[in-house]
Formats: sequence, C-alpha cells, structure tokens
Amino acid sequence: MADDFDLEALVHLEQTFYDSGHADGFAHGRIHGLIEGRALGREKGFEMWEELGFYEGFALTWQAIYTQQGRDDQRAMHHIKHLLELISQFPRINPSAAQAESSSNEELDISKLLRQIRSRYKALCASLGVRPTLRAAQVAEAGDEEGSGPGPSASRQVWKLEEDAKRPTMQGLSF
Amino acid sequence: MDSPWDDDPQATYAREADWAKISNEFTNSGYREGIVAGKESALQEGFDSGFADVGVPLGRELGLLRGTVSAILSLLSSQPPADIPFTAIDEARDIATSLGNIRFTDIAPRDVEAEQHAREHMDSDDPALDGSEELVEKRKMEGLEDMLEKLTAGAGGISAQGRPTKEDVVRLKERLGALSRDLGLFIQTVG
Repeated sequence: MADDFDLEALVHLEQTFYDSGHADGFAHGRIHGLIEGRALGREKGFEMWEELGFYEGFALTWQAIYTQQGRDDQRAMHHIKHLLELISQFPRINPSAAQAESSSNEELDISKLLRQIRSRYKALCASLGVRPTLRAAQVAEAGDEEGSGPGPSASRQVWKLEEDAKRPTMQGLSF
Repeated sequence: MDSPWDDDPQATYAREADWAKISNEFTNSGYREGIVAGKESALQEGFDSGFADVGVPLGRELGLLRGTVSAILSLLSSQPPADIPFTAIDEARDIATSLGNIRFTDIAPRDVEAEQHAREHMDSDDPALDGSEELVEKRKMEGLEDMLEKLTAGAGGISAQGRPTKEDVVRLKERLGALSRDLGLFIQTVG
C-alpha cells in the first residue's frame, strides 16, 4: 500500500513538473507564433494589395483622364467600372478571420477573383492601347484559362498559413 | 570503517541529484512541447493581424501610387510630343522610377514587440532557457537575424545610404498629386 502511494505521488509529481514547464513554454511559444505570424501576414498582405492597388490606381486615373477629355469610349469605361467593382470585392482582411466572424460570408473564391481582376485589367489595357504591366503578363496563362473552366487552383480559397510557414526560404523566427 | 553502510550521505546526495535531474527533465520536456503548441496556437492570429493592419494598407497605398503614375505615363507617351510639356514626362518618369525602388522593408513599421522579445532573449537568464543547447543556438541565430534585418532595413541592396523611407513615399505622393493637377486630372481618392 505504501509502495503504491509513493509511486502515484511520483507520477503525479512528474506530471506537475511537465505541466508547469508546458505552461511556461506555451506562453513563450505564443509570443513567437504571434511574431512569426505577423511577419508572414505583413508580407503576404503587402504583396497582394500592392498588385491590386496598382490596378485600382490605374483604373481610377484612366477614369479621370476620360472624364477630363470628355472622351466617350464605352468599352474602356465598362472595363474600368467592372475592374473597380471586382477590386472592391477583394478582402482586406484574411478571409479565414472574416469567415470565422460571419458564416454568411461563404465560399469566397480568392484565386478566381484575382484571375478575373487580372484579365479585366488586361482587357482594359487592350482597349486603351496600352501595354499591360509585366507582372500581369506573367500570369497571362492563368488568366486566359478563365473562360475554359475552373483552373486547378480554383479550390484554394484562403491563405493557408501553413503553406507559407513551411516555405524553406522564410528566415525562421524561431525560439 | 569500510562498511558498505557508511556511504549513506553519498547515497542521499545521489538521490537528490537524481531528483533534480528528473525534475529538470520533465520541466524541460514540458517546456519544449509547450513552446511548439503555443506557437501553433498563435500563428494564424499573428498572420491575420499582420495582414490586415500592416501589409494590406501599406501595399495598397504603394500600389495605388504606382498604378496612377503608370496610367499617367501611358497617357503622356500616347500623345504627340508637341502637345505635352516636356517636364511632365520627365517628372512622371522620375516618380515612377522612385516608386519602383521602394521595398516593403523600406516602409514597414517596426515590430516593436518582436524587437523587444529578441532583446529579452539576449539578456535573459531564464534557467529553463539556458539549459537547452538548442535554444542557445537558436538565440544566436536570432541575434544574427536581427543584425541582418538592420542591415537590409538600413542599407540593403545597391546603394549603401539611399534606401527610401516612409517620408519619401509621402513626398512622391505629393509630387504625383501636383502632376495630376497640372494635367487637369481629378483622380478620385479612395479610402
């Protein structure tokens, strides 16, 4: 009996050591998770919206040019209107957080929206007789597939953090 | 004298040493697993806040400026040279080049919490941390990363002193606004 008791106490004590270590580690790990997550999120948000902002600024400026010149080009104005409309639909917070907050916001297909934006921008450039920026040309194949059905990446809806975190190139903010 | 029972104190000492070893072992393994679990629990939260609070607004602002100057440049170069003031094209090109040079690291605000935490690592004497060779090793890496970050943020790339700053973006924005007004454009601003 006495032996049993001792053994249990020992097991319990080991658990106590483990638990207190775990609690300290968890708190420390959270700090690192927040820091590393922030670094990744900043980069990703910047990258996405630098491109979208470019299309937005481009469209708004051509809108102003057409207004000033009193030009009446239905086609270009149509593209501008739709481009700005598409951009306004693009999320400015990570959709994973948005979807958690409101479940009504369902099935937001980011990559499809991005493809639509890029091809609308290129269509606008074509109607203006302006050469599109290089980065839109680089994703030309993806954009041109749009009419022929959903591309292979259509199922990707939100930015899964894991994908980015696992990238070997990220200089690890480790503990 | 040479009785085997005489080494009692020695045995007690050994038991205490064992005890400390066990306590350390379990605390450390709890700590290691806790750190991984804690990190995983917070990564997404950090990502979302960095995305919405810093990355998106900064990227959008810079993108808007670049898109605007790109449209102005394409307008100016599509018109017969006689029709446009020569200085306007030069100014637009200059603004476009300067905007093109700006990197995220040039204009990103400092992550004060990250810097603070890195400093804590540098001068912490947390025994649980000091115990692990792995952690000491990684702390050294962090120090290196901080140094590298300072280098890339301060200098980085071709020119040693000329990295653009937030203030440069503000100035370029003003110049772009002035240029649009000169051209008689009223570009809708977005919020």
